[in-house]
Amino acid sequence: MSILKVKDLKKDSILKGVSFEIKEGEMIAIMGPSGSGKSTLLYNVSGMDQASSGEVYLGATEIAGLGEDDKAHIRLRRMGFVFQMMNMLSDLNIIDNIAFPAVHSDKKNQKAYYERAKLLMDKMNIGDLAQRSIKEVSGGQLQRACICRSMILKPEIIFADEPTGALNRAAAAEVMDAFMEINRDGTTIMMVTHDAGVAGMCERILYLLDGEIRGELALGKYKEAEGREREQRTMKWLSAMGW
Amino acid sequence: MIRRLIINDFKSNRLITISTAVFMAAAAMMLGLTVFLFATLYSSISSLMIKAETPHFLQMHTGELSEEEIKAFTEKRPEVEKMQICGFLNLENGQLRIGDNSFDNNMQDNGLFCQSDAFDFLLDADNSVIRVSPGTVYVPVAYRNEYDINVGDTMYIGTEELSVAGFMRDSQMNSMMASSKRFLVNGSDYERLKYLGNEEYLIEYRLKEGSDTAAFATAYKDADLPCNGPAITYPLIKLMNALSDGIMVIIILLVSVVVLCISIMCIRYIVLTRLEKDRREIGMLKAVGISRMDIRKLYLSKYLLLSAIGCLVGSVSACVIAVPLGKGMRELYGEADDPVLVYALMIIGAILAEAMILLSVKRTLVSTEKISAVTALNGRSESRRSKNYWIPVSVIIMAAVFMMIVPDSMKKTMSDPEFVRYMGIGNSQIRIDVRRSQDTDDSAGELAARLAEDDRVDRYSVMETGAYRSFLSDGRAYDLILENGDHSIFPVNYTEGTYPQSEDEIAVSILNAEETGLEVGDSITICKNTKDGEAEKSTCVICGIYSDITNGGKTAKGCINDETPVMWSVMYVTLKDEVLPDEWMSEYSGGVSGTDQSIKIAEIAEYMKGMYGQTIRNIGKASLMTKSVACVVIMVVILLLMRLVIWRERRESSLKKALGFTASDIRMDYMKKLTFYLLTGLALGIVSGMVSAQRLAGILLGFMGARGIKFTTDAVSVFVVVPVLMILTSFIAAFISLREIANIKAYECLTTRE
Repeated sequence: MSILKVKDLKKDSILKGVSFEIKEGEMIAIMGPSGSGKSTLLYNVSGMDQASSGEVYLGATEIAGLGEDDKAHIRLRRMGFVFQMMNMLSDLNIIDNIAFPAVHSDKKNQKAYYERAKLLMDKMNIGDLAQRSIKEVSGGQLQRACICRSMILKPEIIFADEPTGALNRAAAAEVMDAFMEINRDGTTIMMVTHDAGVAGMCERILYLLDGEIRGELALGKYKEAEGREREQRTMKWLSAMGW
Repeated sequence: MIRRLIINDFKSNRLITISTAVFMAAAAMMLGLTVFLFATLYSSISSLMIKAETPHFLQMHTGELSEEEIKAFTEKRPEVEKMQICGFLNLENGQLRIGDNSFDNNMQDNGLFCQSDAFDFLLDADNSVIRVSPGTVYVPVAYRNEYDINVGDTMYIGTEELSVAGFMRDSQMNSMMASSKRFLVNGSDYERLKYLGNEEYLIEYRLKEGSDTAAFATAYKDADLPCNGPAITYPLIKLMNALSDGIMVIIILLVSVVVLCISIMCIRYIVLTRLEKDRREIGMLKAVGISRMDIRKLYLSKYLLLSAIGCLVGSVSACVIAVPLGKGMRELYGEADDPVLVYALMIIGAILAEAMILLSVKRTLVSTEKISAVTALNGRSESRRSKNYWIPVSVIIMAAVFMMIVPDSMKKTMSDPEFVRYMGIGNSQIRIDVRRSQDTDDSAGELAARLAEDDRVDRYSVMETGAYRSFLSDGRAYDLILENGDHSIFPVNYTEGTYPQSEDEIAVSILNAEETGLEVGDSITICKNTKDGEAEKSTCVICGIYSDITNGGKTAKGCINDETPVMWSVMYVTLKDEVLPDEWMSEYSGGVSGTDQSIKIAEIAEYMKGMYGQTIRNIGKASLMTKSVACVVIMVVILLLMRLVIWRERRESSLKKALGFTASDIRMDYMKKLTFYLLTGLALGIVSGMVSAQRLAGILLGFMGARGIKFTTDAVSVFVVVPVLMILTSFIAAFISLREIANIKAYECLTTRE
């Protein structure tokens, strides 16, 4: 069953009628050269930006036509976000940052949200960093904390924009492990990436060029043993697409 | 969590937080202080006038008096509640001495008075009606500081002695702007000392609530009752009471408005800078779904907390500063009637200041809505317009200079000898007042003759004042206090036209012109008195309108030669350069006979000091406070803005260091920029101060009846004191801020993270 349905989405001259669907529990990667419109697609699909035309359905809700505040509400309650730059509030510690969106929107259940934040942190192996300032942790740890924050309100889908782009290989691997973990739990993920290795871990890859989807590669559910083979297959496909 | 967010934000941005709080506190303090002083002044004066049961109409009279006639008139007037005729024993100032202080140079009409039975009470420090014991005297509270008088001192009147038992508040004559002062004595002493002075009468009325005081005053005049002396009404007494301290409050109000504007402007810059710094965080909050309203609330809650702190600190500071500033007021008029209400109003004033600042913050925070999550997350800024953070330095320096120049301009103008010309008095060196009664009619003439023959006198003029009934073109009767003489010798300041040069010309004061609607060129019919006691109507043309604040500002000038009784004479004298005024004055004091008590002689400068000393001192206090506030504000503004500029240009400074510039080179660049904008602000401030501030000071002085004033610039203040204060304060703040340059590392520009 589709959780996200995009129909003929256009944005200025960047997106020229993009259509695709994401099934519930799926993890897909959007790839393409710089300037192809990957991030623009993610921002428009998630309601952060206003598309010129087209339709975007999250479940049964049409997002593109909603007002700013309604879109903000949907992003808060039904979506999660992870960005390349690990944006967090510098005046709060790690656990406060993770709990922040939830606590801010629902002050009554503060305690429950902090418990969930702790649980997520343990799951991402950063449980001992709860009280640290964001300046006192590594990039990989901070990105995993961002993943915890995106999960705090149990979103239907997570949008990740180059989540490993600013990390070294080891840290990137830790972050991808975290994504795999939450995907295994049933969370749908749509990820924009430049990294063939990262894309190879997704079930499906959409290739975007000049604002249009030019190809699609279905890899199936990730198995660790297939890691090397999937990456090579992805590279080969990308090469065929003109990457 | 919000609390933690705010506390951590405060901790990591101490300077910005403290600066914001200081601006908020300064605005709250100033507005709170203004409201406090206004409320105290109004409440104290009202309370004093209620407790003293100040008369609604008062006619002073010198000469014979028929009580029966007055009583007959009173009985016919239903609006009269109470009436009394009190004696006022006018004393010669030369005979007066308290302790070691002589009253020789005092220009007030000082006299003895017994406590009234019915109303117009003289009150003690607790605003209770004083009962005086025989042998003692209560001294007007205004003299306490002026002559440093203490309880127990001896007051000498000629050879007689009285012991000072205390100080008293006189709801009518408290202000130094009132020309008479009453000393309260026991009835037996009053009778005993009668031989020392001339008794005048105060014919006083209390009217029923809602009565028309002005209509009653006209009815009194129309009834041909004793009126050889000025008449005063309740509103005029209230105005006189309010003016000397009110001017200070108005200056403080002006400073409050400037401080509030500066605070709003600085806090706006702080918020904008903060938002620019937090762009990425705001973008992230938007991206994760925090609504625009919630983001605004998040920021607003921080400023709400700061404004609460500012309000508290501001209110407490206002209370502290109000003590010395309100000291004179409390002495003269007593405590406010309802201190709780006054403090409550002060807090409301402080809250109002905070509300205005928060409103501006709220409006500024609307710009968070313009921050797009997408562009912020990509590290791009929608507007790459680089804000010039130095311009506020010029603007704020300009505002500070402006607010310092206003009180100094007023003080200098009022202290200037030329100022008398705006008061309806010629700019002579010496003024001789002769109060006229039947006994002293000759002495004025003899004195004038003596002046004419005195070769030490360079110029002199004799003015004789009388009350004239006049009729306006619409037939309305109007009473004029007309000063006759040669007005060309020491001309006053005419806002329109010029002085009267013939018998059919008169000039009227601005307040008279406003009340009657008379303009230069209009005609008015004056009733002259002929030798045989007949009234003769004569048409006069209005030849000029002048600025006056004497006798309630309602006067006229002419050169009519008739038989109208002279109420008083004034002689203006300027001596030749080589003549010592003190010596000359001592020769003339006591008139031709040497013992004439109706003569008062003083240098105009002293006369002015006596009348306006209190107001000038109050303006001085306000001026000092203005300078202190301006310095603190400028110090904080420069500290803050320099800090912001250094923060914004940190990478650039780092790059300069990497290229081999020293910290001193970078500091010097900043100092050059600061100097440029500082001097620009100073120049603009001085120009605007000299143009608009003087206009503003003119409006303030206009309240006192003085119009069309040309200002004397206090060159020392404008060109030396104010610039030096601003430059020193700015440079000290800049040196403190620029220490940060040493902490900027050369490698910072090479790192990728902001």
